[in-house]
Amino acid sequence: MSLDGGEATPHAAELEDVSFTYTGGERPALGRVSFIARPGEMVGVMGASGAGKSTLAKCLNRIVPEFEGGTFTGVVRIGGQPLDSTRVCEVAPRVGMVFQDFEAQLFSTNVAHEVAFAMEQVGMEREEMLRRIRPALEAVGLAGFERRDPTSLSGGEKQRLAIASVLALRPSVIVLDEPTTDLDPEGKAEVFALIRSLRGQGFSLIVIEHEAEVLRDADRLVLLREGETIAEGAPRDLMTRLDLLEECGVHPPDLNRVLVKAGIAAHAAGLDDAEAMIRRALPHLGASPALPGAVADPPSMNAADAGGAAPLAEVRALSFNYPDGPPVLDSIDLRIAPGEFVAIIGQNGSGKTTLAKHVVGLLRPTAGVVMLNGRDRAAMRPAETAAEAGYVFQNPDHQIFAATVEDEVAFGPRNFDLAPGEIRRRCEEVLRAVGLQNARALDPFLLSKGERQRLAVASVLALRPRLLILDEPTTGLDYREQRRMMALVTELNRDGIAIVMITHTPWLVAEYARRVVLMRRGRKLYDGGVREFFTRAELLASSSFRAPESTELSRRFGTVALTPDEFAAWLRAQG
Amino acid sequence: MPIFLYIERPTFIHRLHPTVKVFALFVMFWSVYWVDHPLALLPLGLLMLALAEFTGAWPNFYRLRWLFILVILTTTLAWMVFYRRGPALIDLPLIHLSRASLVFGLGRGLKLAELLATSVLFLSTTKVEEFTAGLARLGVPYRLGFAITLAFRLVPLFIDSALTVVQAQNLRGYDFNRGGPLQRVKRYVPVVIPVFMGALRKANSMAMALEARGFGMSRRPTSFVEYPVEASDVAATVALFALGAAYFMIYYTGHGAISPK
Repeated sequence: MSLDGGEATPHAAELEDVSFTYTGGERPALGRVSFIARPGEMVGVMGASGAGKSTLAKCLNRIVPEFEGGTFTGVVRIGGQPLDSTRVCEVAPRVGMVFQDFEAQLFSTNVAHEVAFAMEQVGMEREEMLRRIRPALEAVGLAGFERRDPTSLSGGEKQRLAIASVLALRPSVIVLDEPTTDLDPEGKAEVFALIRSLRGQGFSLIVIEHEAEVLRDADRLVLLREGETIAEGAPRDLMTRLDLLEECGVHPPDLNRVLVKAGIAAHAAGLDDAEAMIRRALPHLGASPALPGAVADPPSMNAADAGGAAPLAEVRALSFNYPDGPPVLDSIDLRIAPGEFVAIIGQNGSGKTTLAKHVVGLLRPTAGVVMLNGRDRAAMRPAETAAEAGYVFQNPDHQIFAATVEDEVAFGPRNFDLAPGEIRRRCEEVLRAVGLQNARALDPFLLSKGERQRLAVASVLALRPRLLILDEPTTGLDYREQRRMMALVTELNRDGIAIVMITHTPWLVAEYARRVVLMRRGRKLYDGGVREFFTRAELLASSSFRAPESTELSRRFGTVALTPDEFAAWLRAQG
Repeated sequence: MPIFLYIERPTFIHRLHPTVKVFALFVMFWSVYWVDHPLALLPLGLLMLALAEFTGAWPNFYRLRWLFILVILTTTLAWMVFYRRGPALIDLPLIHLSRASLVFGLGRGLKLAELLATSVLFLSTTKVEEFTAGLARLGVPYRLGFAITLAFRLVPLFIDSALTVVQAQNLRGYDFNRGGPLQRVKRYVPVVIPVFMGALRKANSMAMALEARGFGMSRRPTSFVEYPVEASDVAATVALFALGAAYFMIYYTGHGAISPK
């Protein structure tokens, strides 16, 4: 027993020498991993997709190996007691688990009942349930929502509700498996604020993530690679190892990257901390001069808008509403010129996707017109539309069905009755472009999420559109896969394909896009250069979009840097 | 699109005991089952319309208006093709329009529409949890009752995902209407596979989340919502028995049938 060592209190959760291989798996998902979480501690678990993060989490409540079959060895202890042959449901009162997919963890028609659900399952007395619902909802900031239908809540609220329903059982350990992956920036902020507020309330928090930034104030971090723990330590130690983090598919904190690259320090606990360090190192920088800053804004693509090049896609006075519904889009004008790279941003429900779907003809405008290459979209045949504009859906699994990767790519060209030789040529070309040329004969369902996403892009590219619309192309991908996807998109853009990317991810906008369109409640609020966008504090605040931390930091020094490296270079030039 | 049909209103029907509601569902089905003649079905239809008005379920009926119209029209027309009795009023190719076939077809159409209306009324006034609780009181095992209610929750999610898949494949130039009837069925493969795979994944995530919430720990989970039996429940039960008995008598005395030959 772990108690024999004379420790006063047992660990809240503990894995001792745990190995697990999924049935049919080629290598162990976990290979002799040991892990502890002490009472009241917040532990971050980081790593690439497939590194074993989720498997580790699922060991803590017996989903592995009870629910997910495979070969398991080792011991898992909760509060010092081995779980041995406990059933998953019996662990629920001790270990609460929150998953990424919030839709799949809500089962009731009102919020209060959702919180009661787990308590009903364990057979708790009704009086006790009534006593616990209120505090659980208060803890997640949903008091007063008792009678609301969970499906009517925002993503962030849904995830907070899922946390409340877990809190109600008062477990000693709470495990959150990528709880914010599917959320917009506002939802992410809500959930992480909640996680911070849960600290110090006695729970042991285990948070799985691949964005290091959000785990900056964890007590301890564990870094996994290919099923093994390869580093462990305090954030100030682990988060400075930028190369190691990137190598493990983890997005290193922007601030640390700035400080390291500028040769000033290694780790900042937050924006204020980073600012103070820079000011100490470079005292002559003084207080922030007036914005906009010293870095010149590249000529905005709006220049092309003003007249110049004929637009590839043009939306004129576009309005849209569903029958009997409120307006989703309200007289939008938008021109996309050849070769542009535009990011469309805005909160959920702001009309981003609705706008994009009009361009490819998935929706018909209530008023206004969509023109593709000078022609009215409504008068074009599907094949003509497809040659102008392609659309890659957020979830690649919404379109993948074929038995092989090659068939999947050939599907579109075949539908348009291209000659077999031409189809083969295009498959060859696009599979090489997305780096899947060696996967041609594989079953698409065996590919990783990142590969499936690239396959979806390939299958749309095979129709040779001059404009490619990507809806959240990096959701659910780890940092390495995100970089790979964006390298592909950049490459396509360089080859002359105009890109429109719908996204919630600030660093993607800052680093890759050259023009930003901000939507709010069906209206276009901003349309212009990226750098200029990030100088508009009032726009950012009112649309709950955040600048990347390095950009935010650069603003405090009177400049607007779009990447950590750019800001570090600026700092070096000042020094 | 709201996932559930349930519409919260302060009516006594909404407040009825779940078991009474499930019983009401049964009695309505029962009553519709025993009679075939449109005139015998008419009072039930009127009762349902009155209930829709009283319970504020109109928006749901409005949402499903095309389904109701379609059910009544196609059934009536279909029976005019197959039910070839009585002297034809007008000579038409294929369709046998006679008084008998019209009455029979209309009766069938009404019957289906009333079964549908009963379900819509039930779902408009009954929360999913009440449905589970009602089934449990009638002796249905908790797990089975929960599975049924979960199915209700999943259907809209699958419809949603199917719509997205259709859009994605349309953009890749897929035309679902090419070819003959048999080929058309086959042509749904590019939709069915992604939806099915998605459903499997979703079901797997849900099952995991359920177990992680302690589902299965107690054979008889406690209930957060209490359902006290009130006077209105007793009154409604008596009325339902009377309705069920009345319709059985209509059948038994031969009044509900369409006059033979």
